[in-house]
Amino acid sequence: MAAWLVRRLVASIAIVFAVVTITFFVVRLAHGTPCGPAGERPLPPDVCERQRVQFGYDQPLPVQYGKYLVALRHGELGESFGLHRPVADALADAIPNTFTLALAALLVDFALGLALGIYQAVRAGRFGDVAVGNVALLVNSMPVFWLGLVLLLVFAQWLRWFPAGGIHNPILCPRLASPYCLLDFLWHLVLPALTLGLVGAAGTARYQRAAMLEVIRQEYVRTARAKGLRERRVLLVHALRNALLPIITLFGLAFPFLFTGAVLIETVFAWPGMGRLAVNAIFQRDYPVVTGAAVLTTTMVVLGNLIADVLYAVVDPRIRVQRGGGDGGSA
Amino acid sequence: MSVWTWLTLGGAAVLALAVVAELRRRLQTSAPGRRFFRHPTAALGLFVLAFFVAIALAAPVVAPYPPYYQIDIAHPNRPPSAQFLLGTDPFSRDVWSRLVYGARVSLGIGALATLVAVTVGTAVGAVSGYFRRWVDTTLMRLVDVGLAMPRIFVLLMAVALWEHIALWALVLLIGLTGWFGTSRLVRAEVLSLREREFVAAARALGAGAGRVIFRHVLPNAAAPIIVSGALGIGNMMLLEAGLSFLGLGVPSPAPSWGNMIADGWHRMAVAWWSSTFPGLAISLVVMALNAVGDALRDALDPRREAV
Amino acid sequence: MPTTRLARALATLAGLTGLIVVAGCERPTGCSGEYCGTLVIASGGEPDILLPPVSEFAITRDVTDQLFLKLADLGLSGNTIGDEDFQPQLAERWEWDAPTTLVFHLDPRARWQDGHAVTSADVAFTYDAYTDSLVNSSARSTLRHIAAVTTRDSLTVVFRFRQRYPEMFYDAVYQLRILPAHLLREVPRNQWRSAAFGRAPVGDGPYRFVAWKAGESIELAADSTFFLGRPHLRRVIWRFTPDQFVAVTQLIAGDADGVEVLVTPDNVQRARADTQLATYPYKGSQYGYVGFNLAAPGDTTKPHPLFGDRDLRRALVMATDRERLLRNVLGEFAKVPPGPLSQLWWIWGPEIRELPYDSGQAARLLTRTGWTDSDGDGIRDKDGRPLAFRLLLPTTSAIRRQYARLLQEQFRIAGVDVQLDEVDFSLYNERARAGRFDALLNTWNTDATPSSGFPQTWTPAGFGRSNYGHYDNPEVDRLVDRAVASAANRDQARRAWRAAVETLNRDAPGIFLYATSNVAAIHKRVVDVTIRPDSWLALLRTWRIPADRLTDRDRVER
Repeated sequence: MAAWLVRRLVASIAIVFAVVTITFFVVRLAHGTPCGPAGERPLPPDVCERQRVQFGYDQPLPVQYGKYLVALRHGELGESFGLHRPVADALADAIPNTFTLALAALLVDFALGLALGIYQAVRAGRFGDVAVGNVALLVNSMPVFWLGLVLLLVFAQWLRWFPAGGIHNPILCPRLASPYCLLDFLWHLVLPALTLGLVGAAGTARYQRAAMLEVIRQEYVRTARAKGLRERRVLLVHALRNALLPIITLFGLAFPFLFTGAVLIETVFAWPGMGRLAVNAIFQRDYPVVTGAAVLTTTMVVLGNLIADVLYAVVDPRIRVQRGGGDGGSA
Repeated sequence: MSVWTWLTLGGAAVLALAVVAELRRRLQTSAPGRRFFRHPTAALGLFVLAFFVAIALAAPVVAPYPPYYQIDIAHPNRPPSAQFLLGTDPFSRDVWSRLVYGARVSLGIGALATLVAVTVGTAVGAVSGYFRRWVDTTLMRLVDVGLAMPRIFVLLMAVALWEHIALWALVLLIGLTGWFGTSRLVRAEVLSLREREFVAAARALGAGAGRVIFRHVLPNAAAPIIVSGALGIGNMMLLEAGLSFLGLGVPSPAPSWGNMIADGWHRMAVAWWSSTFPGLAISLVVMALNAVGDALRDALDPRREAV
Repeated sequence: MPTTRLARALATLAGLTGLIVVAGCERPTGCSGEYCGTLVIASGGEPDILLPPVSEFAITRDVTDQLFLKLADLGLSGNTIGDEDFQPQLAERWEWDAPTTLVFHLDPRARWQDGHAVTSADVAFTYDAYTDSLVNSSARSTLRHIAAVTTRDSLTVVFRFRQRYPEMFYDAVYQLRILPAHLLREVPRNQWRSAAFGRAPVGDGPYRFVAWKAGESIELAADSTFFLGRPHLRRVIWRFTPDQFVAVTQLIAGDADGVEVLVTPDNVQRARADTQLATYPYKGSQYGYVGFNLAAPGDTTKPHPLFGDRDLRRALVMATDRERLLRNVLGEFAKVPPGPLSQLWWIWGPEIRELPYDSGQAARLLTRTGWTDSDGDGIRDKDGRPLAFRLLLPTTSAIRRQYARLLQEQFRIAGVDVQLDEVDFSLYNERARAGRFDALLNTWNTDATPSSGFPQTWTPAGFGRSNYGHYDNPEVDRLVDRAVASAANRDQARRAWRAAVETLNRDAPGIFLYATSNVAAIHKRVVDVTIRPDSWLALLRTWRIPADRLTDRDRVER
C-alpha cells in the first residue's frame, strides 16, 4: 500500500512539473517577457526591476526557467498587468470562490443524483423510471452555459427570485462580516451551483440507478427482506453503503468537469472565481496570470485525482488500478 | 416558408424514419442488434440524428433564406410566425435557416474533431498496449499530463496565443485535446487481447506488429472505440458551443449553434427565440448521441447485463 | 424511535435558521441626515490610470473630474466663447491685463487632500506637464496658443497667449486639471503612465480617492471640508461591468443607481418601465465611426495597401446604408452624423455635404479601380488579391459588435470580405494606438466645442495619439485653423467648419455611423440631478438624496 502511494505521489508531482514546464515554454516562446520596453500597459518601474532580478528576463531561456521554478517554490508568481497586483494574491482571492461553487455544485449533484437514482431503481421499468431517466438525459446533454442563461432569465430577470449574478452585494457586504452577509452569499450562490449541479446530477443519477439495481438484486437484501425489516430501511442502509464507491470515482472525475463548467458558469453569472480570472487574463493577454492559473488548476486536478485514488483504495483494498475506462473521449 | 420547404422537411422526417426502420429490420437478426433496440431511446436517438443529418445535407432546400442574409435590418427580432418558423435574430436573419446551416457546421465540427480524437487515441492506445514497457510508460505519462489540464483552458490558451486561428486549426485543436480517454480505453482492450491465441497465432505465422494490430487486435477492440466515438461527438459539440459563447469559436457570419446562442443572449429578455432554439437543438442532438452511445455500449459489450 | 429523533432534528434546524434570518434582518444603522448617500454608477469601461494628462478615456475623465479641479469650469449654457459663461473653481476670479494676458487669482481656501495648500506653482507645473512631449498628452495641441504660464505670487498665475482668438479662455481652463506639484515633481515624465500616483491619486476636488479594485470598482468619498460646498452624496462608487448591457441589467436589478448612457432603444424602454428609475435625456457628445488606417499597419511610412486608395474608401462609404443600420442598433436614440461630429457641437447641420448611400455607384467605382470578381466567389479581387480586410473592435461595446456584424453583411453584398477582430478593451487600445489594424470601429466622446476635439483626431496634431488612422490633409488643417480663429463670428466660423468637414468627407477617412442622443438613468431617490452634456457628472456634488429616502446602502458610513 505504501509503495503504491509513493508511486502515485511521485507520478502526480511529475505531472504537475511537466505542465509547468510546458506552459512556461509555450508562453515565453509565443509572447516573450512581460516588462517589455514602452508597453502600453506598463508596470511601475520598481516592480519591473524586481521582476527582472527575480525572473531574469535578460538572460537565456533555461536560466529563466530555473529562476521561475525557484520563484514558484516560494509562491511567487509574478505581477499581473491587468490587475496591478501580485498574481498569487489574485489567485488566492479567486480560489475560495471557485471552491465553494464547486462544493455547492457537488452537493446538489450528489444529493439530487442519489435521490433520483434511488427513485428510479425502486420504480425500475415503470413510467416513473423512464420519465425521470429521459429528463435526466436531456438535462445532462444541455450546454451548461445555455442552461445557466435560461435559469438566469427565468429566475433572476422574470421572477426576480434570485440576483442576476455576482457573488455578494458589494456595498452592504464586501466581506462575510455578518449572518446577513452569509445569507446574501448563499442567495447569490444558488443559481450558479444549481446550474452546475443539475447537469452533473443527471449523470450521477444514471450511475446510482445502476448501482442500486445491482444491490437490490443481491441475495442478502432478499434475505433481509425475508427477515421482515422495513423496505425503506433495507434500501437506505444496505444500498447506500454500496453507493459510496461510485461517489468517490465521480468525485475524482468531477474536478476537470467542474473547472470546465466553472469557466463558463462564472462568465455567465459574473462569479469572481478562478475560471473567470483565467478567461479574462487570457483575453487581456495577461500572461503571468495565465501561467499561474494553469499551474494552479493542474495541481488541483491532480490532487483531486490523487485523493480519489487514495479513498478508493482505502474503501476497497482489492482495487489498485489506474482509473482506466473513463467515459469515452471526454475530459 | 413555402410549400416546397415544408415538403422537404416532411421528406427529411420520413427519410429518417425509414432509415431507422430499415436498420431495425436488418439488425434484428443479430444479438447485438436486438440488444441495441431493446432500449426505447435508442431508436428515438437514431431518428433524431438521422433527421438532423438529413436536414443538414438538404440545407439549401430546407432553408427558405440564405444563412447570411439580413432580411430587413430595420425590423429585427421578429417572433416565430408562418413566414419565419423560428423567428429572426437581432440581425434580422431567419433563425430556422441558420439553424439548418448551423447543423452542418456544428455536426461537422463534432464529427471531424471526434475523428481526429478517436484516430489519435486509438493509435496511441494500441501502440501503448501492444508494445508495453517503456513505450507504454512514456505514452501513458503523456496521457496523464493531458488529462490533468482542463481542456477548455488549453483551448483558450491556444486561441489566445495565436492571433487569428483558422477554423480547420480550431477543429484540429479540439480533436487533439480530446483523445486521452480513448487511448486509455483502447490500451486496456489491447492489453487483454494481446494475450489471446489468435494474436499468438498471427505472430507465429510471422506477421509484423503493424499487421497484427490492424488486422487482428483492433477489429476486436472496436466496441469501446465506437462507443467512445459516439459519446465523444456530443462532447465536442458542447465544447464548440462553449468556445463560441466566449467568442472564440466559429467566426461571424458563419452560423454554428454555439455562436447563434452567443448572438442572441443579450436580447434574451425580449427575443428569447434566437438563443433558445439553437440550445434546444444542441441538447436534442447530444441527448440522441448519448442515448445511441449507451445503447451501443450495451449492445456491443456482452459482458454487461442489460439493466 | 427514528421519527421523534428526526422530528427533533428538524425542529432544531428550523430554529437555527429562524435565528439566522432574524439576525440578518437587522437594519444597519449609520449615516442619517442631509449628507448621506451612496451612488453606484455602473460602467462598461474602466480607467487605465487616474492621471488626467496621460489618459484619454471618457471614464477616466468622469472619475478625475471629481478628484481634481480646473481653474474655471464651463457653464450650463455650454458657451465656449469669451469668459462670461464660465464658473470659478480653483480660481476665484480673473482679469485681462492685456488682450493676450490672462491673470487668475486662486482661491486661498483650496487644499490638497494631504493638507498642502494649492498654489500657483501647481498650475505652472501642470501646464508644463501637459505640454511635455514625454507625457504626450492628447491636449497638447490645444494648448499650443499659450506661450507661457508664470506665477506672480503663490496665489496668482499669469497666462500669456501668442494671439487673441475667441476661445482662448476655454483653451486655458478646460483641459488643465491642476495637479499637485509637490507629489509629482519627482516622478520622471516618461514614467507617468505607470506612476503609483495614478493608482492612488491625491486631489483637491469635492471627492477624495478611497480605493480602486482593478476590474471591479473605484470608490470615492466626499470631502466634507471642500471649499466650494460640501458634496451631499457621501460616497460615489463606479462598478465595472464587462459591457454596457450588463451595466444596464445591474441598474434595473437595483444593484446600481446610475448609468451614463442607456444606449439602445430596448434599454431605454426597460428603464422607463421601471418605477424606480428616472430617465434624463441630454445632448449626446459621442459619435461612432469606422476608421480606415491610411498607413500600413505598424509602419506609418508606407500607405495602407487597400486604404491608401481614396476611391476604395469612397466606395466603401457609399456602399453603407447608414440610416438603416442606425435604425437596427440605436433606433431613435441617435442620428447619422454628417461627418465626425457629435450632436453636442453647434456646427451640426443638415447642409453639410457628404457621400450618399448609393450601392450602384459604389459598385461602379470599385470596378473602375480594378476590383472585380474574377473567380466568381462573390468577393472582388485584383491581381490575385481578394478585397478583404479585418475590422478591429472591443468586446466591451455591444453597439459596436452589433454594427460590426451588420457592416460585415453590407460589405459582403458589395463584394468585400470583412473578418472581425473582437478583442479585449485594453488590447484594442494597444493596437489602435500602435496603428496595428486595417480598420477599426471607434467612438469618441467630444468636448463642448469642435476646436479642441476635431484637430486632435483628424489632423497631424493627433499622430501617435487620437489620430489612429493617420489622416492628413493640409487643406483641412488650414480650414480648421481659420474656423478656430473666427469662432466669435458665428457665420464665418460655420462656413469654415463646414468647408473643413466637407473636404474631409470627400477624402472618406472613415464611415461616420452614429451620433448618440444620450439618455441617462438615475435612481429616483436622487434629486437635484443636473446633467451637463459635455461631462454628465460635472455637477455631481450638487446631487443629493433627501434624508427620508435613504436606503440601507446609503446609510453605510465606512
